[in-house]
Amino acid sequence: MDISELKKQSDLSYDIAVAKRNALERAHSRQVVAYREHLFRADPQTICLVSTLKQQQQSFCILDTNNNPVEIDDPEDFLSVLISRNQESLNAYSKIYKTFSKKAK
Amino acid sequence: MSKGVLLFCFDTLETKYHKILERCVSLVKKNLGVPVTVVTDHKTYKKMAPMGFVNYKLIEPERGNKFLGKDWHNCDRHMAYELSPYETTMVLDIDYFCYTDDLAQYFDTKYDFLVSDKAYDLSNGKILDFGKYSIVTMVWATVLVFRKTAKAKRIFDTVKYVKSYYPYFLDLYRINSRNFRNDYAFGIALQQINGFIGYEKLPLALPTLPRHCEIQQINDSGLVWKHNDRVGSVAGQDVHVLNKELANV
Repeated sequence: MDISELKKQSDLSYDIAVAKRNALERAHSRQVVAYREHLFRADPQTICLVSTLKQQQQSFCILDTNNNPVEIDDPEDFLSVLISRNQESLNAYSKIYKTFSKKAK
Repeated sequence: MSKGVLLFCFDTLETKYHKILERCVSLVKKNLGVPVTVVTDHKTYKKMAPMGFVNYKLIEPERGNKFLGKDWHNCDRHMAYELSPYETTMVLDIDYFCYTDDLAQYFDTKYDFLVSDKAYDLSNGKILDFGKYSIVTMVWATVLVFRKTAKAKRIFDTVKYVKSYYPYFLDLYRINSRNFRNDYAFGIALQQINGFIGYEKLPLALPTLPRHCEIQQINDSGLVWKHNDRVGSVAGQDVHVLNKELANV
């Protein structure tokens, strides 16, 4: 490999890495959910926590993104909102990711 | 409960900020779907193109502040509480372009005052770090969300106090830049009024294009920038553009 080809490949890898991080950051931003006047992250931790607590009781407290306690009295509805937002953001990320994969080949 | 976006826009000799405002208002209306109030002066107002239904508040901006040797009329944001006609207000920098409806949901929260303390550099994929320039956490006053409550009023009153003694606070917090910055004024005020133990924040890093990125193209769905002969683009993602040459694109 000559130096110009190396530079080309290196630049391409850098561009893909930055674009991928931007897309992931976009997904994280989209995962913020306002529910019952509080903010939550529709991330795996919150989804697992709500799913686990829901199996034990129909009303429980969890913390919002600013560590305020929030009573969840309709876990089914909350879980559905979280999963929906999580998958929406990751589906969008997945579409962009496929374009990176093509470029990298 | 009324809600809306409040924007501050004052042209300077060097920059036609009203051109940036026109893009911003169009995106806010399209993607956030809330009423808009623009705080401006008569001279800037006369240059604005018609933007549909927009509420205007005409004031005379405080002058004297500079950034990189150019006029920078950014000293009036502490009046947002009094100037806003809404019960829940989102103050945006006019160079923050809402290409998504992500911010809309923050109107439906019950926090008194929210601001982000992180910004994300879209040109290199890293968090912008201003920690080394002061000993106070700088917030990004680019996006502020507040409700008309006693607590929010106290925060804005504290910002006014900090602004009155700004040179003292610059020294106290060992802040590198000597001009007035809302990011530091709000950061200091939030720290002081909250007893130095933290405060509620927007849980997002603001996507930002630094000043060195030159905007090549911009439309209603995204923009293209250039830096060091490299070209990048953003589509379907909010972006805070720091390069004010944007007004001429």
